Amino acid sequence: MLNMKMKLKNVFVMYFFVSILGLMYALMQLGQPCDCTQHMKQNSDFVRNQDRAISKLQNEVKKLQAQVKPEEPPKPILPIIYVITPTFTRLVQKAELVRLSQTLMHVPSLHWIVVEDAATKTSLVTELLKQSGLQYTHLNVETPKDFKLKEGDPNWLKPRGVEQRNLALQWLRDNRELSDEGVVYFADDDNTYSLQLFQEMRFTKRVSVWPVGLVGGMRFERPLVENGKVTGFYTAWKPNRPFPMDMAGFAISLQLLLANPTAHFHLEAERGYLESSLLETLVSIEELEPKADQCRKVLIWHTRTEKPKMKQEEALQKQGLGSDITIEV
Amino acid sequence: MPKRRDILAIVLIVLPWTLLITVWHQSAMAPLLAVRKGKDYDGSDGRRDLSQGSDSKEYCPLDRDIVEVVRTEYVYTRPPPWSDVLPTIHVITPTYSRPVQKAELTRLSNTLLHVPNLHWILVEDSQRRTPLVTRLLHETGLNYTHLNVETPRNYKLRGDMRDPRIPRGTMQRNLALRWLRETFHINHTQPGIVYFADDDNTYSLELFEEMRSTRKVSVWPVAFVGGLRYESPKVNAAGKVYGWKTVFDPHRPFAIDMAGFAVNLRLILLKPQAYFKLRGVKGGYQESSLLRELVTLNDLEPKAANCTKILVWHTRTEKPVLVNEGKKGFTDPNIEI
Repeated sequence: MLNMKMKLKNVFVMYFFVSILGLMYALMQLGQPCDCTQHMKQNSDFVRNQDRAISKLQNEVKKLQAQVKPEEPPKPILPIIYVITPTFTRLVQKAELVRLSQTLMHVPSLHWIVVEDAATKTSLVTELLKQSGLQYTHLNVETPKDFKLKEGDPNWLKPRGVEQRNLALQWLRDNRELSDEGVVYFADDDNTYSLQLFQEMRFTKRVSVWPVGLVGGMRFERPLVENGKVTGFYTAWKPNRPFPMDMAGFAISLQLLLANPTAHFHLEAERGYLESSLLETLVSIEELEPKADQCRKVLIWHTRTEKPKMKQEEALQKQGLGSDITIEV
Repeated sequence: MPKRRDILAIVLIVLPWTLLITVWHQSAMAPLLAVRKGKDYDGSDGRRDLSQGSDSKEYCPLDRDIVEVVRTEYVYTRPPPWSDVLPTIHVITPTYSRPVQKAELTRLSNTLLHVPNLHWILVEDSQRRTPLVTRLLHETGLNYTHLNVETPRNYKLRGDMRDPRIPRGTMQRNLALRWLRETFHINHTQPGIVYFADDDNTYSLELFEEMRSTRKVSVWPVAFVGGLRYESPKVNAAGKVYGWKTVFDPHRPFAIDMAGFAVNLRLILLKPQAYFKLRGVKGGYQESSLLRELVTLNDLEPKAANCTKILVWHTRTEKPVLVNEGKKGFTDPNIEI
């Protein structure tokens, strides 16, 4: 019995010593910078693989999100600017829409409503809008034949873009509510817009106005402002119109438009009276809000693009050797 | 009393094991913590992998965290942050004062603000740099260089007639080339591409990414030039340019518009004598006068899907009708347009 006890005691003592030694060894190891690159590499490889997987998945998500346009975008903090652009097919159309979209892409909280003057939506505009990265609505309505310009007509002979803008207004009335904050701006596809303009118009309460460059036969047209109120208009062409302004010179608050569901552009309006036909039903001159530093800064220019010369193209087409039409211009 | 001894025995057995396990656990955690703090050795690998996987256009060379934020939305910072990896695109734009100048430069700058690593070299055709352009450049926030040189006037002709023998923009483009050669030295420079962009054309963003990979001179189609829907280089099945699809003098050495090619900066620096010819240049031969000093037809690199896509349009802006200016006292020179 005593022997066994002795042996057991020995075993215990040995065990105790061995474990103490092991403990001391381990404690010493803690202090040293360990050569654990193997171990760490394994871990970092693992982390890197996880990250790669994550980024792959996030790309997938982004692709899917792009395909599925959300019905209701999350409520933005900034009031949305609804830019209404009527457009029609002609040689420079794609170029105009490309450079206009490049400007609009810089503006936060913007919704582009493009309305084609066409019986059916064209693939050119459809693809362009998809790739633009903008929030957009694509509509189309064909101008009735009586009101269409014929080849060789001067562009002022008949009002252009009327049906298209009215369709956009109707879309807003059908798809937006009085509680939605926003401002509506009519932007033709050949004008030039500075980024500051969009900042100026965003907080319009009723109708805001500003100067427009290169219009009305002058360097610029502008509202005259005294003590923060519009008192008249600096314009040489038909200055007696109710609102002698260009389409690009004003913006209307969304709520004002929704509160007046019948306000629209009049197709029969006399030349130059298109803007007035809408504005006179919405606001009076005293209520206009002057922007752009009391209407002393030009932030938008009524540029027009030349029709490209197609002499050689037409000559080739007569010989049946016209350029490849599958290449989109 | 036996119980006490037993307890003591148990404690003596268990204690070392718990201590051992604790120590072992700690030593296992330490390398992971070191990794999280973002030591250099693995940081670069992580970043490279992620930038291949994601199509985020943000590049954060100072971010040392392995777990990088991969953005799923295109963040439109104006202009995009500078990258140490992408070649710089030096865009040379000659410009001159006229009513539409500010509008043209505004919309061109709105385009350029989307392009990463872009350096805009704007050269005015004027005696002095104008306040209009100076202010505009400053407000865009773009990386720019503002130069000016006046094309000599032909005093024999009435009015603002520049020397008609010198094609418009030539002296300005040459000045920009000279500036590049004086500023960059061939051995110590970030890769760059040189592109001549007139202020009234229209450029797609894809175009700038196509030209970024230029090794010598790259070419692509241009719309609305030469009286055609587009002019284009002819590309054979081997991907080499062998001719020009134009009607107007297709036998020019380089029957291409100014907007239809880009040159690697290295090539510009390697051939310091190559400039646009000032005088005696037949209409349409301007581009050839430079390109023949730089490259042969065989060296051209076709872009835009082997020259089948239109990525640049030679648009022209109408001269605005200003008939009412000066009439009935209508004129206000204080307001800049």
